[in-house]
Amino acid sequence: MANGPTFEELATPLFGQLYDYAHWLTRDGNEAEDLVQETYLKAFRGFGSFSTGTNFRAWIYRILRNTFLTSRTGLRAAPQISIDDDPDEYEQMGPAVIDGRTPESLFLGRFTADALRRAIEELPLPFREVLLLSDVEAMSYKEIAETLSIPVGTVTSRLLRARRRVREALRGIR
Amino acid sequence: MSEHLSPLDIERVGDGELDFHPHLSECLRCSNEVLAIVQMKRAIAALPRRMPPQRRRRDISWVAIAAAIATVAVLSIIYVRSRDAARELIDMHSTIVASAQPVDVISTDRHTVKPWFEGRVPFAVDVPDLSKTPFRVAGGRVVFWRGQPGAYLLVTKGAHRISVLAFSGDEVPRIAMIPQMTVVSWRRNGIAYFAIGDIPRGELETLRETFS
Repeated sequence: MANGPTFEELATPLFGQLYDYAHWLTRDGNEAEDLVQETYLKAFRGFGSFSTGTNFRAWIYRILRNTFLTSRTGLRAAPQISIDDDPDEYEQMGPAVIDGRTPESLFLGRFTADALRRAIEELPLPFREVLLLSDVEAMSYKEIAETLSIPVGTVTSRLLRARRRVREALRGIR
Repeated sequence: MSEHLSPLDIERVGDGELDFHPHLSECLRCSNEVLAIVQMKRAIAALPRRMPPQRRRRDISWVAIAAAIATVAVLSIIYVRSRDAARELIDMHSTIVASAQPVDVISTDRHTVKPWFEGRVPFAVDVPDLSKTPFRVAGGRVVFWRGQPGAYLLVTKGAHRISVLAFSGDEVPRIAMIPQMTVVSWRRNGIAYFAIGDIPRGELETLRETFS
């Protein structure tokens, strides 16, 4: 680590993103602040084990996520759903199209940001986190897989299911 | 027209993980589905980010980390100093018990050993009555540790030889646990005591209780 970037150089630019992600996970501002604080402390203490040149963003997001999962809120959220991550299952799925138009194209233009935010917040954690890492944090499948310690195929299938659940939730409040 | 793309491939194209597929240029259904994913991605990405209050943001980041660093540093210094103190005292114990003449006053009588220290160390040395215990006083000497004169009592328990060291003052450091030797320390009437020996801690605690 002698000639590499310092912890502060790597971690400071991610502060806002980490807080936003923590807020999505905890759904509470105070808990998000506590979660980010604990994440930074753990990351700082463990910085010696971080290999320069590898993906710092995936590394610190993984710390935040693991910290969340062991928190009281995380423990409540984790067992909400049994996830079947067999990617082959989704090859058999039908299209999302209804009457030649896609539900998203119908719904997204009509619903407010609040409704979309609520639909995402209602997602079970495994779906919520892949959707957020993909669409909010703009991570690649590979980065998401690294952050969540799951195969890339699982990232794809969870994203597919997450989007369909969001769509169904928006349809439900139409 | 070629077969429709699978939902997973549509997802990959929509997420930019798969290159544009030729099928999309000829299939309205599949291209609509990809477009829907892109729309949803844009809508989610456009959601306002939540930012922590500025005051707390400053608190959270570097002040907390600096406090943690300071705490770790202080605890490390305390640990290193206490470990060093323990090693010094254990070295003193090992050197004395291995020497040909470990004590200057050789006596099992506490009434002989106690007055021998008068005028040699700047405090009254407590030599307890061990007659009802498995321990015996074997003698004493004066030692110097970190610039301070102290009283050294050689105590035996069967074949085991135990050092009891006493120093005056409040600046005696804490003693860390050292695996190879048992060290028990206590403070009484302004005197810091250290008992060192290769016997179980519980037995050294029994010896400690004999000191008034």
